Amino acid sequence: MNALIISALLGVVMMFSSFLLKDRSTVRSMAIAGLLLLLVVNVLEMNGVEFFNINTRDMIVFDRFALLFNTIAFLSTLLYLLLSAKEMAKVGVYFADYLALIFFILCGVILVSSFKSLLILFLGIEIISIPLYILTGSDKRNLKSNEAALKYFLLGTFSTGLMLMGIALIYGAQGSFYSVDISKIAGETPSALLIAGMLLLFFSMSFKVSAAPFHFWTPDVYDGAPTVFTSFMATIVKAAVFVAFIRLFDEAFGLLHLQWQLLVAVITALTLFIGNITAVFQQSVKRMLAYSSIAQAGFMMLSLYAMNADAKEGLMLYVAAYSFATIGIFAVLIKMSDYTFEGFNGFAKHQPLLAATTTIFLLSLAGIPLTAGFLSKFYMLKAALGTGKHLWLVIVAVLMAAVSVYYYFRVIQAMYFKEGEGQPMEVSKPFKWTLVVLAALIILLGIFPNILLSWLYF
Amino acid sequence: MPINYYIFLSIALFAIGIVGVLTRRNAIIIFMCIELMLNAVNLLLVAFSKMHHLKAVAIDAASTAGTDGQLFVFFIMVVAAAEVTVGLAIIVMLYRNIHSVDVNFLNRLKH
Amino acid sequence: MQNALQIVYLIPLLPLIGFLINGLGRKHLSKSVISVIGSGVVLASFAISIWVFLQVKGGNTHEAHYFDFISVGDLKIPFAFKIDQLSSLFLLIITGVGFLIHVYSTSYMHEEKTEHFGRYFSYLNLFIFSMLLLVMGANFVIMFIGWEGVGLCSYLLIGYWFKKTEYNKAANKAFIMNRIGDLAFLIAIFWLIQKLGTVTYSEVFTAANLAKLSTTDISVITLLLFVGATGKSAQIPLYTWLPDAMAGPTPVSALIHAATMVTAGIYMIARSNLLYSLAPLTMDIVAYVGLATALFAATIALKQNDIKKVLAYSTVSQLGFMFLALGCGAYTAAVFHVMTHAFFKALMFLGSGSVIHAMGGEQDIRNMGGLSKKLKITFITFLVGCIAIAGIPPFSGFFSKDAILLSAFAKNPVLYGIALFTALLTAFYMFRLLFITFTGKFRGTHEQEHHLHESPAPMTIPLIILAVLSIIGGFVGIPEVFMHGGDKLGEFLSPVITNHGEGHVSHSTEYILMGLSTGLVLIMIIFAWFKFKNYQRTEESGLGKVLENKWYVDELYDKVIVNPLHKFGGFLNSIFENKVVDGIVNGVGRAVSYSSRQFRLLQSGQVGNYILLMVGSIVLIFVLQFFLKR
Repeated sequence: MNALIISALLGVVMMFSSFLLKDRSTVRSMAIAGLLLLLVVNVLEMNGVEFFNINTRDMIVFDRFALLFNTIAFLSTLLYLLLSAKEMAKVGVYFADYLALIFFILCGVILVSSFKSLLILFLGIEIISIPLYILTGSDKRNLKSNEAALKYFLLGTFSTGLMLMGIALIYGAQGSFYSVDISKIAGETPSALLIAGMLLLFFSMSFKVSAAPFHFWTPDVYDGAPTVFTSFMATIVKAAVFVAFIRLFDEAFGLLHLQWQLLVAVITALTLFIGNITAVFQQSVKRMLAYSSIAQAGFMMLSLYAMNADAKEGLMLYVAAYSFATIGIFAVLIKMSDYTFEGFNGFAKHQPLLAATTTIFLLSLAGIPLTAGFLSKFYMLKAALGTGKHLWLVIVAVLMAAVSVYYYFRVIQAMYFKEGEGQPMEVSKPFKWTLVVLAALIILLGIFPNILLSWLYF
Repeated sequence: MPINYYIFLSIALFAIGIVGVLTRRNAIIIFMCIELMLNAVNLLLVAFSKMHHLKAVAIDAASTAGTDGQLFVFFIMVVAAAEVTVGLAIIVMLYRNIHSVDVNFLNRLKH
Repeated sequence: MQNALQIVYLIPLLPLIGFLINGLGRKHLSKSVISVIGSGVVLASFAISIWVFLQVKGGNTHEAHYFDFISVGDLKIPFAFKIDQLSSLFLLIITGVGFLIHVYSTSYMHEEKTEHFGRYFSYLNLFIFSMLLLVMGANFVIMFIGWEGVGLCSYLLIGYWFKKTEYNKAANKAFIMNRIGDLAFLIAIFWLIQKLGTVTYSEVFTAANLAKLSTTDISVITLLLFVGATGKSAQIPLYTWLPDAMAGPTPVSALIHAATMVTAGIYMIARSNLLYSLAPLTMDIVAYVGLATALFAATIALKQNDIKKVLAYSTVSQLGFMFLALGCGAYTAAVFHVMTHAFFKALMFLGSGSVIHAMGGEQDIRNMGGLSKKLKITFITFLVGCIAIAGIPPFSGFFSKDAILLSAFAKNPVLYGIALFTALLTAFYMFRLLFITFTGKFRGTHEQEHHLHESPAPMTIPLIILAVLSIIGGFVGIPEVFMHGGDKLGEFLSPVITNHGEGHVSHSTEYILMGLSTGLVLIMIIFAWFKFKNYQRTEESGLGKVLENKWYVDELYDKVIVNPLHKFGGFLNSIFENKVVDGIVNGVGRAVSYSSRQFRLLQSGQVGNYILLMVGSIVLIFVLQFFLKR
């Protein structure tokens, strides 16, 4: 609860600072300080210190899972702001407002990670989505940004419609919005209303996490949106929706898992396939990363499929590994003027440190051992095998992981094994150090995953 | 009236909304169709709310069960309003740049 | 610190430190500092390895547990090292041969820019680190980490001269082929976790746990592990990366593709020998694949004219021998051959590096000839290597190859026959290489002839050391017939390896077999000598002249055996390898990129299409859920 209230307040403060403060670096420092504050109060809450005692009628419950995820999300956002806040100012003139929107999105993130009622889930998803529509279109003169915003908006509201219909049908069947009540099916076969509602919710959540065949918006929107915001969208937001997805299907539909397990398996396989295969042929690194985020979503879907203790732990690790690595790569990408693979030619020669850290990020995404990416994939596959069914899914996942090596290594190859002029870019010392910290975190988690996971149990 | 009538009516509205989204090219009309989908949901929620309420009252006259459905409707309306503001702003922004709101012209981003 | 086993963590840690120093400081350090650090850390590891080895020899084994790497539910995968007879032996080979190659590299790579020089040494150190991790790990997951690590390092090292695109392609090919094998390995690990809930060797290989596995489980796990091994150890069908991988600098070829990385597969199977012994079907497959690879690669090697390609195919062939031994249950013989092969193949690769160095980068043996006068040390050491690989007693190759042939004979005389034939081919193509390169007249340009010189001491000293090892290395495993208790290696390894199928042959048969193989090999060498001592570029006429002066038997032999073999080798090379194997590999790649292009078209950019596809899928799923399920 601490973080939720403070984050909302910070959003309001940021809005006011847009016309009260003219100096951008002050605004930036304020945002970073605000995030540090969020991180601190959240850690305090993990240790039992609550500042606000509000009766939410158990619609929001902050359990360890939620709090740990929130910590990861705040940490990622903090690193993201440290790396890319300056670039945000280049998108348009409303720097403080962008930051305000990011704080509002964080409110949504907190809500979806801790909901116990479908009402909160709906509100959280919308609080995340509406600011994102704005951020996507924030580069007002850029036609690509316009187009991405409209596409995202139309498809996003359409999926909201599906979600609401699903919620309404479930309400009709069970008479409540609480996950606990929905899960009570008292032995008899579930009613068609409930199943239909569950499927509709499944589709709309699949849309939000960009699982195939509901992924179509992802490449276009990620490509068209200003790169700074793509980075945020592809990492923290996506991770939050995944946490919500898991929570929903664990708590509300856990008993129905025979009804959806095969469906999830098929969707997972399809997502892995489409994401990885289509990424192979991309010419632009930004668009490749968009497809790769679909592919990574496919891996995260494995945790939904398995839905056991391993899966939840694995998802935490996956979320952290994926977010850190992707934020890092995007931070480097934003600095470049040419987003094609050729743009990375000779990068290692001109920016050796940046190239080295980017390599670590890419290795982690590809799942090479001693990086967090390997362990998180390991957990996911282990969880999927733990179900003892659908072995083919694991084989598809493993094969697709092999395909992913191809396109991640294309970037490494361009950086190290090809000659190129390199692009002029201004890189500050703090930027470099933050990248190094990020890379170190990835390696650290790759060797000692327990420093993160032990927080789940006390 | 049996609850089934409400269900069929709102499913029909919802389907009309989906078909509209699929067939129209004007961004504003597509958006209106999505709003129609949302309102179909509102109708359905209110109907279910009444149904559950009547069921609960039959057992315990003082029960407030089933009221939360109607509450939900208000949230949907508020969120829909927020969506309208943002959505129309995006459409206006696009219209300023390309002087059209036809979604078929949106194909710079593909493959 | 009385016990070396307490500080085993230093063995991999030192190369890692070397990697970090050289990698980070490659712009600031001078070449000599980089050389000292790069070689020094490996030397230190080697010293500790010797210490550790002596401790293990005294009967101390050790499992060092550091921390829990993964703990999910009841599954705990510790980060732990296992030091026993098998791993300590591999430690010696890796750090020892590795050190010599580092020393050699300081001179071989000296013309590189300082920055690239640092990069090269940092990669080498990282490679040694990964390989040590692979060998020292106390469970399959740690082994897998090292396994991937060596794959990654070989990618970096093969593509080291990145300015040529073909080298990049070779690097890609190596990595992707390795990955295919790795995936099978990973699935095998998961299978073990699923069935036993542990991957630690000391827990998996217990009678109680092995009894829990059904025959199918064991067959599948061992087969998957073997597929992993075929990727790393370059066996049919995943071998094509190895010959292409010769694109890297020559010392790299010596290190990665002869002495260490490719032996990982052998190590893995030897490590899981208890599991394999329970899977007769897999054993047969391993033996047949190994033998087929050995024969196949040997025939291709007959036709090659690139000095490094000959050696590369010879490596593939020798690895095939090792797998044959594994498949016959003679794990000790396989490990023995790993050791001797590490000596003589590293020797020959480094020797070829010395030749290439002297020839100014020339690799085609048709442009060499008569080098023995100018490159005395290289020639003599190379000759030692050839004798060793051909299997002439008392050189090291004889003992290990003999042990393998014997185990093949014990399993099935037909296997023995083919293996012996392959051994003869080995002798033939190795001496063909030797004679074409070092005897006869010089066939290169005048400029090259002028340039010819013996390599400097940092290059020749490792050659001499390796040559000495190639001569005496075999004495650790003298067969029982010659000396009672002579098989020190088998004795040493006996706590970790249970041999099957070895030694069911009577002593007289053994003598006959040995005599037969040695005699035939000698004949092969003499034959190669007459055929290639005055090798001329104008093959047809020159060859005819040579043959005219010799026995007619020769001609007959040539017609009946050598020519068809050459043709067959050429056929295998051009048709089978280029069309079939590469065709399959490239075909998969092409299928991926084709489907990638097709799936891209789905992303039409039209909102209407997106929604239509979404709604279509929704309707489809609803129909399936409600109408087909019930």
